[in-house]
Amino acid sequence: MQKMTVVLTLISWIILVVYLMPFIWLIGTSFKPIGEWGAPYLVPQNPTLRNYVELTTGGIYGVRGHFPAITSYLINSIITASVVAMLTALFGSMTAYAIQRYRVGGTTFATWILSLRMIPTVAILLPLVILTRFLGIYNTLTGLIFVYPVIALPISTWFMIGSFKSIPREAEEAALLDGCSELEAFYRIVLPQSTTGVATAATFAFLFCWSEFLIPLLLAPSESAMPLTVFAAYFSNQYGILWGPLSAAAIVIAIPVIVIAIVIHKYIVRGLTLGFIR
Amino acid sequence: MVSEMKIKAVTWLVIPALVILLALVLYPTVYLWGMIFYSYHPARDPYPFFVGLKNFGILAGDSEASYTILAMLALVGITIPTQLVLGSLLAILFTARNTCGKLGLKVLLLIPMMIPAVIIGLNWKMIFFSKGPLNGLLSSLGIPPQPWLSEPFGNPYVVLFSLAVLDIWQWTPFITIAVMSGIESAPKEVYEAASLDGASEIRTLWHIVLPMIKGIIVIVLLLRIIDSMKIFDIIYTLTYGGPGIITTTFPFQIYKTGFTLTSAHPDIGYASLLALILLAISSCIAMIIMRLFHIEKLIWE
Repeated sequence: MQKMTVVLTLISWIILVVYLMPFIWLIGTSFKPIGEWGAPYLVPQNPTLRNYVELTTGGIYGVRGHFPAITSYLINSIITASVVAMLTALFGSMTAYAIQRYRVGGTTFATWILSLRMIPTVAILLPLVILTRFLGIYNTLTGLIFVYPVIALPISTWFMIGSFKSIPREAEEAALLDGCSELEAFYRIVLPQSTTGVATAATFAFLFCWSEFLIPLLLAPSESAMPLTVFAAYFSNQYGILWGPLSAAAIVIAIPVIVIAIVIHKYIVRGLTLGFIR
Repeated sequence: MVSEMKIKAVTWLVIPALVILLALVLYPTVYLWGMIFYSYHPARDPYPFFVGLKNFGILAGDSEASYTILAMLALVGITIPTQLVLGSLLAILFTARNTCGKLGLKVLLLIPMMIPAVIIGLNWKMIFFSKGPLNGLLSSLGIPPQPWLSEPFGNPYVVLFSLAVLDIWQWTPFITIAVMSGIESAPKEVYEAASLDGASEIRTLWHIVLPMIKGIIVIVLLLRIIDSMKIFDIIYTLTYGGPGIITTTFPFQIYKTGFTLTSAHPDIGYASLLALILLAISSCIAMIIMRLFHIEKLIWE
């Protein structure tokens, strides 16, 4: 019996390591000097931090390509994802509360919001490019913050519907009887009880915005607003791919996400299924 | 009426989200409906001009567009069943007996599904690279290296499978984790009773646990179907739709037609028509899904 457990544990872990090998390879390459980028071994023979250092300064590789410093793109990503996370967690909670407790808009409204989660973004982006140009926010952080809610709001709203559902109504009803208004009951009683839910909803919104590629590809083509995901495409051109700096950039983009994922691992499935599975 | 007053006050809570979403979704939809009767190519026309039903005529003769719809469905057809089978098998393995470090397994499994799809595309571009690690592994096993992104095994259509590998790699863990939590949520007594009755572990899983977690699997699968129809980032970074148009799925074709003007019929009016067709297809699937979800129960019960 005991032997069986050891064997199965071993097999599980070996499979997992093999499964994660592509990502492990990416980590290895990020520490390889230029001569070893394409080398068929995982561990660099002359490990270097140059790829990471160059991310902060920019790098020039002759005809093979060049890339600017990562800093402004990193800042763009952090600003847009954080602002959208806060806004959508707030607006999402408000909407979710009205739907879950007072059935505002009924099934139709709730269903409509859910259906937005399923819309392919590319289909609605053409008009949105024109709309942001018209509003003068094309290629700005404001433009991205304006458009990102189309992916983040449905997620945070539905996540919060699930959260409010599990919060007992007694305290709220007592407050209402005491003459508290519905809005006061919401932000004095219900919101403080659901801080974990709101924080998780905000975190999910952050993750989705951090990972978004298509929207900024079309709405933020230049440095002033371009986020990290689009920046990553700098490393590849028709002459070749700068594997080293590319891997380093990929790791920089992936690390916050992985850290966040580990912190909120309990809620991941719930968040990705919009609260349908707990 | 007090209750009406209540509802009025609460309605204000919905306004911000409603306004934002209407601007971001309703306006585009109306715009698309208008644009399908126009033709516009920024490099060619000073402004959009009315062409009546011409875009529908183009669509009728556009074999490229119909191929890309098929490619989209083919990708769904390859990725979803593979993810389901692979994900469930991993879940069964990881929950079997008292595997040590289950939490560690689960947390590490989150890595592929949480890293941005763009990174996955670039990561695998490196793996599939002609002198990359995959070909290195193959040649050390005595198998000739393959051009994974142009013509693996002498057939360019196999590139669709290379592309599918990325989505499978990224999202199999999602199925695994969901099924794992399903298996773990089944009460211990179930397993004990079954083993007392002499049922094998596999039989217990199949006859008792599977029916219990069917709901979870259905929800995860439906979300996966929706999302794999939206696949864009990994196509952009891995193949850019190539070779030719083999890995150009329908969303990517809309992007090429409307934004890069590199497809067979580059035109913003025509792209709007394609976008509406994509919206129609995904709305149909979304509607089926929401029928299955029983929204009322989910929200209020």
